[in-house]
Amino acid sequence: MFDDPLGAGGEPPGGRQFLLQAKRLRKTYGATVALENADINLSSGSVHALLGENGAGKSTLVRILAGAVTPDSGEMLLDGRPYAPRSLMDARSRQVATAFQELSLVPNLTVAQNLLLPRLPKGRGGIVSARETLQRGEEILARHGLQRIDPAAEISNLPLADRQRIEITRALENAGQLLILDEPTASLAETDWLFERIDLEIRKGVSVLYISHRLAEVREICSEATVLRNGSSIASVDLSDASDSDIFEMMVGRKAGHARLSRRTAPDQGGNARLTVQGLGGHGLHDIGFSLQPGEVLGLAALEGQGQQALFHMLAGLLHPVEGRIEIDGKPVKLSSPRNALRTGSGIAFLPEERKTEGILSGLSAATNIVLPVMSKVSSASLISGRREKAVAQAAADKVEMAPRYLNFSIGELSGGNQQKALIARTLATGAKTLLLFDPSRGVDVGTKQSIYTAIRAFADEGGAVLFYSSELPELVQLADRCLVLYSGRVFSTFERDDLSEQRLVAAMLGHAKPEIAERSPA
Amino acid sequence: MTIAQTDTDRSPGQFQRLMLRLAKGAWLIVLVYVALYAVYAIQQPKALTSYSIAALVNNTAPLALAAAGQAIIVLSRGFDLSVAGVISICNVTLAVYPLEGPGGAAVSVLICLGIGIVVGAVNGYLVAFLRLQSIAATLATMIICQGIALVILKAPGGYVAEWITYEMTDRLFKLIPVSGLVLGAIILIWMVMKRSSFGISLYAIGADETSAALSGINTVRVRFMAHVVAGCAYGLAGFMLSAQTATGNPTSGTPFLLLSFAAVALGGTSLSGGRGGVFASIVGAATLTLLQKVLFSSGVSSFYTGVFQGLVLILAVVFSAQLARLGEGK
Repeated sequence: MFDDPLGAGGEPPGGRQFLLQAKRLRKTYGATVALENADINLSSGSVHALLGENGAGKSTLVRILAGAVTPDSGEMLLDGRPYAPRSLMDARSRQVATAFQELSLVPNLTVAQNLLLPRLPKGRGGIVSARETLQRGEEILARHGLQRIDPAAEISNLPLADRQRIEITRALENAGQLLILDEPTASLAETDWLFERIDLEIRKGVSVLYISHRLAEVREICSEATVLRNGSSIASVDLSDASDSDIFEMMVGRKAGHARLSRRTAPDQGGNARLTVQGLGGHGLHDIGFSLQPGEVLGLAALEGQGQQALFHMLAGLLHPVEGRIEIDGKPVKLSSPRNALRTGSGIAFLPEERKTEGILSGLSAATNIVLPVMSKVSSASLISGRREKAVAQAAADKVEMAPRYLNFSIGELSGGNQQKALIARTLATGAKTLLLFDPSRGVDVGTKQSIYTAIRAFADEGGAVLFYSSELPELVQLADRCLVLYSGRVFSTFERDDLSEQRLVAAMLGHAKPEIAERSPA
Repeated sequence: MTIAQTDTDRSPGQFQRLMLRLAKGAWLIVLVYVALYAVYAIQQPKALTSYSIAALVNNTAPLALAAAGQAIIVLSRGFDLSVAGVISICNVTLAVYPLEGPGGAAVSVLICLGIGIVVGAVNGYLVAFLRLQSIAATLATMIICQGIALVILKAPGGYVAEWITYEMTDRLFKLIPVSGLVLGAIILIWMVMKRSSFGISLYAIGADETSAALSGINTVRVRFMAHVVAGCAYGLAGFMLSAQTATGNPTSGTPFLLLSFAAVALGGTSLSGGRGGVFASIVGAATLTLLQKVLFSSGVSSFYTGVFQGLVLILAVVFSAQLARLGEGK
């Protein structure tokens, strides 16, 4: 169905030039083959998507193109000349710049300094001129429509979304030929700003390599795509010719069944709620109230910075509410720590937002990471039994469809999707009956997403209760039995499953449209 | 999908900003020093004479210089144990090969700086190029240096050139201590360095080495240079120590190992890198030295000095963490 133009190496259709051609790229780390045989051809002035499941080798390919990693073999041509960057600056000298998924900003420096690194403007005597740094930073921000960000602000004080914008802005500044965007929307709730920037770059003749798990987004902005599977290029397609299921098939090697999540029977309304919150306030929240029944999956929708972090942290015992009460199984509780939250009543387990810094312990194996909260279960006389650790981890890993062979790997070496699976397995292994999942599918591919959804659903069907926040509307609509919308620290509206639609959620998240009005107005 | 971006107001309040500034800058430790000096002045009315100020600065200088070097390494998220070794070698070298006159002193300074540069370059090579953990690499160089110091001078003895011991501990115009001028010069150099690309890179590497590298900073070179610069500071510390003690001792550097870390921590520099500074560490060293004097003049047995120094360190770290917490509004 799709001709394989790879390896042909000829001119792209329409007489346009290839800006970048990469052939037979290979990279191994010890015994792990990260990239086996990757080819990619980017035509000038286009937005090219790179698609693939977790562990398909996308990140490795990005790092090779960015100059952060050198391939073991293979060759690349940029603008007709050999391209073999040995460092990031090497790539930058060829006008190739990358916005990394894991953000490469230095937290204790200012926005302006980060934008200008490593060449800060010098004044007299080789001293960096603070004034000129600020001024140049301000100019860059203004050029990219980010005047509202203070160039003197320290990166660590910015919300995650703005950090991502700064990372992208820096890449935009340095990309004269090729701009590589690795999951640029992972922390952005809206894509308008980004797509506008990309359009401008295209008009300047810059090519863009766009890596994202969000297929809708890819379709909106990209014209062609290369699909990677197990470290090799599977196909290069024109996106207008390929249906979603074609692409899924190329990514995973099988027709991905759009398994509609079986709707369960109504949640058990009798008996005590797993979790009840009344008049909760403080840390930017006001008068939050809801209850979570056994068997219920409750979604939480909000734009960035509406207090969702504070709410989850309060329920997980990381923050202390200033006012209001929290009840578990009908009994008022005071949660002093996540450990305490786990052990109170039927227990609350928390999946934090930042996988790298708040979630995984990268030196330890995936199995150890999973059993961490239940170490007493796998040990006798305080000594951990390797066999029991494996068994408990295995049971939890099965629920999220994580392949057993990954359990012995150091978790830091696993792909983002498998790390996330391990972390969700950890919350399941705790035995807590209430899960707090903060953006459970952030930055993971379609296949992993489905596994995570299935696990969440199965957990609820067995009488568990789930509160999850998501930055993706389709996810909320697909998964939630009920959905709260948080706006300015208040519960702005609540949707029952049957009323749930993306349009209504958007209206409510913006806070200036009452759901009833949004319903009647022609969309 | 169109969702307007609402801006979240995260600008901290006036009070929080003040607390943050106190916690991050050198203000806190300077306040502590001034308060302690007031106590000292009340106890010892002579404390405000230029003679006893000079004596105090002379006592402070070696530790302050050692702390300055250590701070540079700690800022880049490293530890440098070789400080003890460098000071010992410099001390015994000056005691075994005294060079008289101002010319001899100049050569002596260059020798000390050279020793520091060589040891620093070895550290830098091991840490930056071979990527050894700094604590392991510098532990090895410290042990080697102490061995070398013992080879040069087997037992305490020898004498340091008179010109050095006299002039470097003297006062200019009977007012300004020469050792104070040396410290002032180091602080000036730091203020320039802090605003150079090297200085900014140092902070960047300390906070997040991967991000710094992905931002285009040459992390290997910066780390190497940090060790060389720190080595220079240790060499100067050895020189100033020799001027003060006037004799050689192959283990003279040992007390500086832990006290340099204490001074850095007391100055509010984070031992996990990226926050703090050289000036605050110098004031931290001065505080530790002044504390010794205050305890001595209060008649507290010198056996208790360590206990008090440790307590002050704990209090300072706890207090600055509290300020930071207030500042971040948690």
